[in-house]
Amino acid sequence: MFVALEFARLVRANQSMVFSVALRFLRNHEVAEEVSQDVFLQLYQNLGRIQNEAHAAWWLRRTICHRAIDEVRKRKLRPQIGLDSIPDPAAARQEPDWLQNERLRRFVEALPVRPRMVVVLRYQEDLDPTDIAGLLGIPVSTVKSHLHRSLAVLRARLARESARQSEGVCYECGK
Amino acid sequence: MNVENELRKALRRQSPPAGFAERVIAKAGGQFRTPWWKFRPLVLANAVALTVVLFAGGVIYQRHEEQRALDARRQLVTALNVTRVSLQKAQERIRRAAAKPIL
Repeated sequence: MFVALEFARLVRANQSMVFSVALRFLRNHEVAEEVSQDVFLQLYQNLGRIQNEAHAAWWLRRTICHRAIDEVRKRKLRPQIGLDSIPDPAAARQEPDWLQNERLRRFVEALPVRPRMVVVLRYQEDLDPTDIAGLLGIPVSTVKSHLHRSLAVLRARLARESARQSEGVCYECGK
Repeated sequence: MNVENELRKALRRQSPPAGFAERVIAKAGGQFRTPWWKFRPLVLANAVALTVVLFAGGVIYQRHEEQRALDARRQLVTALNVTRVSLQKAQERIRRAAAKPIL
């Protein structure tokens, strides 16, 4: 009974973090929910090893990162906008800069797997490069390199998009 | 435009669909329910101890009853011996009385 209550509490406290990392990385609601659920069920099986809430959050964050990366490689998910990736009009109204944000999310999705996860952890979870390196099991220098290059790519793409818009060019169709 | 600030806005956390937590908790409770005997060693130990106690009690009771039966048998044999001796004495007296001449 105690274990069940503790698990329920951890799910409610961390569901947004886990789901968001999966969603921002995978860009697919259905897959993100499925992977997030699997991670929590994995937590349930390993509850005996969790020492406290902070440890649980760290464990969940590390597991969802690795699971999401594995999922991309397994499904060979390509950057695309599925119907379920487009929020409904109500959601778009709640996000004033939805168009700009959506454009940026698409650019992030187009990044290679590791740099994409580094960007999500840095700008969604607000983790510093040392924490990101620990979570992903890569050197801090590699994390900083990924961040530096990804920001450069994103700036270039945003600049290109702005230029096209000012010229009246549609980004999607190139006309 | 500050790309980093724009990224923070674009990648803000999003809540999962309604009922996500309940579905996960329900799935964990159903799929991963373990047999009672695996997670209640104390109950199992108590059941085993009770079985041993009952079995031992049964054995002790049976032996007690057997002993009582043996004692009763011994008493019966003793009583029968006493009766036999008494009957023999009575028989002897009758024989002697029958052997005396009538004057």
